[in-house]
Amino acid sequence: MSISLTTTQKSGAALLLLLIVYAVFGPMLQEGDAATQNLSHIMTAPNSEFWLGTDHFGRNMWIRLADALQLSLMMAGLCVLTSAIIGVSAGVLAATRGRWLDRGLDAIVTMILALPGLVLVLIFAAIVPGSFWMLYVAISLIQWIEYFRVSRAITQRLTHSPEVQSSKLMGFGQWYIFRRHYWPAIAPQLFTIAAFGAANAILMMASLGFVYVGIQPPLAELGLMIVEHFPYYSDAPWLLAQPLILLALVVLACQLMGRGRTQ
Amino acid sequence: MRALLLKRLLQLVAVSWGVGTLTFFLMRALPGDMAYRIAASRYGMDAVDNRAADMVRAELGLDQSAWSAYWQWFTDLLSWNLGNSLVSGAPVTEQIWHMLGHSVLLALAGILLSILIAVPLGLASAFKGGWLDRVLLTISTALRAVPVFVIGLLAVIMFALEWNLLPVAGFGTPAHLVLPALTLALSLAAISNRVVHTEARRVFGSSFFEFARMKGLSPSQAFMRHGARNIAVPVVAFLGIQLITVVEGVVMIESLFSWPGIGHGLAHAIFARDIPLIQGAALMMGVLFVVMNTLVDIACHYLDPRGGQLS
Amino acid sequence: MSLIHIENLTVWAGQTELLAPMSLTLEKGQRLTILGQTGSGKSLLAQAIMGNLPSSLRTEGKVTLFGDEVNAKQRQRFWGHRISMLPQEPWNSLDPLMGAQPQLQETYQLVAGQSAGEARQSADYTLALQGLSDSGHKRVDQLSGGMAQRVAIACAMAGGASVLLADEPTKGLDVSRRDQVVEQLLTQSEQGTLITITHDVAVARKIGGHMMVIKAGELVEEGDAEQILKAPQHAFTQALIEADPVNWPAPEPSTQTDKRLLDVEDLTIGYGTSALTKHLSFTLDEGEVVGVVGDSGCGKSTLGDTLLGVQQPLGGRIKRQRQAAVQQWQKLYQDPTAAVSRAVSLRTLLEDTIKLHNIDRARIAPLMQQLGLTDALLNRNSEGVSGGELQRFCMLRVLLLDPVFLFADEPTSRLDPVTQRDVSKLLVDVAKQNGCAVMLVSHDPDLIAKRCDRVINLNH
Repeated sequence: MSISLTTTQKSGAALLLLLIVYAVFGPMLQEGDAATQNLSHIMTAPNSEFWLGTDHFGRNMWIRLADALQLSLMMAGLCVLTSAIIGVSAGVLAATRGRWLDRGLDAIVTMILALPGLVLVLIFAAIVPGSFWMLYVAISLIQWIEYFRVSRAITQRLTHSPEVQSSKLMGFGQWYIFRRHYWPAIAPQLFTIAAFGAANAILMMASLGFVYVGIQPPLAELGLMIVEHFPYYSDAPWLLAQPLILLALVVLACQLMGRGRTQ
Repeated sequence: MRALLLKRLLQLVAVSWGVGTLTFFLMRALPGDMAYRIAASRYGMDAVDNRAADMVRAELGLDQSAWSAYWQWFTDLLSWNLGNSLVSGAPVTEQIWHMLGHSVLLALAGILLSILIAVPLGLASAFKGGWLDRVLLTISTALRAVPVFVIGLLAVIMFALEWNLLPVAGFGTPAHLVLPALTLALSLAAISNRVVHTEARRVFGSSFFEFARMKGLSPSQAFMRHGARNIAVPVVAFLGIQLITVVEGVVMIESLFSWPGIGHGLAHAIFARDIPLIQGAALMMGVLFVVMNTLVDIACHYLDPRGGQLS
Repeated sequence: MSLIHIENLTVWAGQTELLAPMSLTLEKGQRLTILGQTGSGKSLLAQAIMGNLPSSLRTEGKVTLFGDEVNAKQRQRFWGHRISMLPQEPWNSLDPLMGAQPQLQETYQLVAGQSAGEARQSADYTLALQGLSDSGHKRVDQLSGGMAQRVAIACAMAGGASVLLADEPTKGLDVSRRDQVVEQLLTQSEQGTLITITHDVAVARKIGGHMMVIKAGELVEEGDAEQILKAPQHAFTQALIEADPVNWPAPEPSTQTDKRLLDVEDLTIGYGTSALTKHLSFTLDEGEVVGVVGDSGCGKSTLGDTLLGVQQPLGGRIKRQRQAAVQQWQKLYQDPTAAVSRAVSLRTLLEDTIKLHNIDRARIAPLMQQLGLTDALLNRNSEGVSGGELQRFCMLRVLLLDPVFLFADEPTSRLDPVTQRDVSKLLVDVAKQNGCAVMLVSHDPDLIAKRCDRVINLNH
């Protein structure tokens, strides 16, 4: 199956690729690490030695931003992968394997949806403070629902469709029907959900960092950096601008990729 | 409709159980000297001794077996006995009620403002198209790409710090409400104006709207009689979907502007590990969320007599 | 003074001429029927007359209404009270949130200029006249297709327009309901003039009057309807008329084996607790071709699903008298695009079937030739081929499975008349050659009469 991307999606993908390259290879281009403080070089403006300047502890911003971006992208990737696999399998099974499973999953979804996602993540974050993995579990716990609902709806619609009935009459098995009928209908939707899901995961982590209950200092995290740099906004506006712009760019890249023909 | 209300009731039960259980876990997961630390934060470093720590331990049920503690926790929850704040010592229910008013005020102001922004802009761009549509699409895309606290931060820098027009944070006067509500409204309208736009385009291009014109109604008559309500139905339903954004926005905005609502309380309680307050605030958030969802359900039911097709 | 006079009306998309110059004049009491296949540009003509074309299209020519020459913009002000158009799909043309009566009443009030009280009376009277007194409060989702049609026609007429355009007014209707609509149109048009656009030769024959035949945006023939239908001059018109099932040659009787395939006794079919058809008893012999007719909603498709074992009968017995593998009981679908996965090429789908059932590849080429399918076609997916080609591909796959029973659920109703004739002939012929029994469903009794040995009518 070939996926033809729109111009908008292509520009989103290009931007995302650029950001990934920076996150992975950026730190190699400069010496030092994200944690080393250098109090004789605090809040240096970007120059040839520190390409993006230094923060209020004299830490190298080029490396810190790349580290923070790595963390965000990793969170987004893990959450998308986990929730997509769980959500799609559960959705297809709910639609094809009898009523009780469907009812049970529906009850679980109703329960999870009773609480706004961010509040749920906040409580999870409180159980093990500053834990990347706890955030990952909490965000995935919320995000699988979207995949579940969409794949369940599509599968439900298809189970009684002529194309599936026809394949069944011809003697094809469940796995074949999934491969030829369910999956091709679900896959294009998946891409959109995944793109927006990635954006939301990144926003969620940044939001938690912003209210000080996410990733803890001295680790570099975009939301945390924004709140740490805010007091210096008049002395060093570029310092606050950097994580802000980076966060906006990575979210924009994901959202552009998700914007298909339908919107 | 009855099935829907039943589902919402089920959600209320689920919220209580879920929040209760999670906070219970939270409490049991506390490190061993937590009782001591809490006692210290409550009575001051000098006054704390083992007796005070034991009192705290007993108060939280940390000295009981897991199951009996869980049972105790729940009977307290069901009798709306949420305990006292570990930080201030004041009853949690009292604090929650106080915060609730502020949060509801902020949420309603934000939603109202977002409707005032999104509906005219969405309709205008659907009618006119062209440059207006493109400009709105660009602004909406840009606003969607930044988290709500960044919108708030930029608003603070511009309106409060640079131009000194409005207060930075706090509450009390109507001026204090402007920036938080505007921030919430912008983040909501960034999405909802596109929904209004899409739905309006759908209705304007629909067979029934065309037929309304064909049978002789003028454009404005056709819009009033057959356009407005058909656009409103999916838009109100979308408002229900946006409630998540509202609640999440409220948490972030309250923290940013030090607005003394539930979201601010929750974030603070989590930071201070004030478990009873975490439970109370999260519980109230969930209840608020379910209640607002129910209101949207009812509105949809009233607007769309076909019923049940939207959820 | 003529009610409507059109001179050299053309429609352009950029530099492409979509509709060649058309001219027509209609006096009070006259009728015009425009006949043409789907996509022939006849709907463009209707939209151009109304002045309702999308802004990307450009029109030229003169339109005179009631003696005044009016441009497209001016014509919009005549909508409803001078000139009106019936919607193609009335169930999509009524406000989904509003009852039937208010939609009719508002037209009397806002378009015909009656007072609120008069308008209510007019609306109630009209609804009563259409036998809809009890349905005035119902919304379109609560009305049947036929009821929605009557409400929509009433709404279009309420403004008092004397020029009425009807674009495919019988699309998707059963024969009995189709005739009702035609009757209603004829009654309504006595006071003014009626322009009907249709692909259905039967409708054209019933409405009559003056006739224009359009092919690919060009006028190919014009004259008195009766004359043209009796002795068409143009080859295209001849083909259209020949494709009408009434004019098909009579069927050859099939060579029956008298070996019983299926016994059905006292069958009740339906969903859940609601039965669609009760006490159905019939037998089916091997190689027999049986037609199934009945109004929509009487359970024609459900009968197929029940016979194929996809759905459980609510009562009665189905006895398969011949031992055959599961895949030898097959079905053809009304909409082939919905019955075939579009995710992969037709060749892949064919390969899947061949591998699953170890089919001898030597059989494929001759069968494809017989069905008129080329090998190159298989490289495309279901969206890349025409409806007729896809239906024939479905037949190919089904026939490779050596079916003993084939339930063909309106397999040609989505095809244009010429293709319909060819595909339905092919289906029956190939099935007979392979000794496969066919149950052919159609809403068109003429088609059934010309293709089947006998008929099961579910209405009785």
